[in-house]
Amino acid sequence: MATLTPRMKAWVEKFGAHIGTATKQGYPTTIVVEQASITGDGTVAFTLTPAQANQIKDNIAQNPYVALAPHAIASIRAAYQFKGSAALSGNTLQATVKEIYCTKPGPEAALRLDVLPVESIVKFEESRWRDSGPPK
Amino acid sequence: MKMNEEMLNSLRTIGTGGVVVHLTTCSSEGIPNTVGERFVAAFGEEHIVIADMFAQKTKVNLNENPVGVITVAHPVKGRHWAFRGPCTILMWGEDENYDFHGVRAGDVLQEWGDWASKEPPSEVPPDIRPPALCQRGVITLKVDEVYSWKPDESGRPVL
Repeated sequence: MATLTPRMKAWVEKFGAHIGTATKQGYPTTIVVEQASITGDGTVAFTLTPAQANQIKDNIAQNPYVALAPHAIASIRAAYQFKGSAALSGNTLQATVKEIYCTKPGPEAALRLDVLPVESIVKFEESRWRDSGPPK
Repeated sequence: MKMNEEMLNSLRTIGTGGVVVHLTTCSSEGIPNTVGERFVAAFGEEHIVIADMFAQKTKVNLNENPVGVITVAHPVKGRHWAFRGPCTILMWGEDENYDFHGVRAGDVLQEWGDWASKEPPSEVPPDIRPPALCQRGVITLKVDEVYSWKPDESGRPVL
């Protein structure tokens, strides 16, 4: 399991994420959940509407892989992608993050961050972005 | 599938009043990849184009599984759209007469193959502005389906 930094947690918690799912054969479906709950250092929970749960339940049942990308203004300010697996229980989608990527356009796009010590990721963030999370 | 006027007017770079989108692609083994894209435009009424600025995993995925989903991320303003359909990257060097679901590669590259010159991201704050804009092609999605991602009606066909 990867470890999310405080900056990552703050942006995802406030603005949620676009959640990419797919069939086992690779046919994608994306839903958008506009807020999230951080449930651990590398786990994020999303409360889905019945329509959202119904839309992805078959995908998650056959293929638990998900990709999470921050929503709204966080799609600009928080250029991360979180990859991992997810399980759907009732209307709660619980995602376990296993890989973290920087998606800032340019030479650092697709840079894998979770292979670094957390302190190094934080230093990376501090050197790249002026904020430490969304405005209060 | 033809997009409506509101969609056509919204699908342009955020600096010109458009939107930031996320593009989801998937490996042939079912591992999704979802990344934000700010250089986006409608091409004709049935295609969406995005600058390919070394989208590494996206390219690998589209080479083995040419389908994608584009979701509007910011600003939403009622634009809860998800566009899904065949997707590829038209690269510089492609046969200009190559036809991808009704568009000619040469036409796409001529219009959008040098996005930074056409629409430089001058409004982007320094800490999120790309240090250099190097484009190797144009990600092109043919819209076969539009569904709503609005939470309480997610998946409902829009067109």
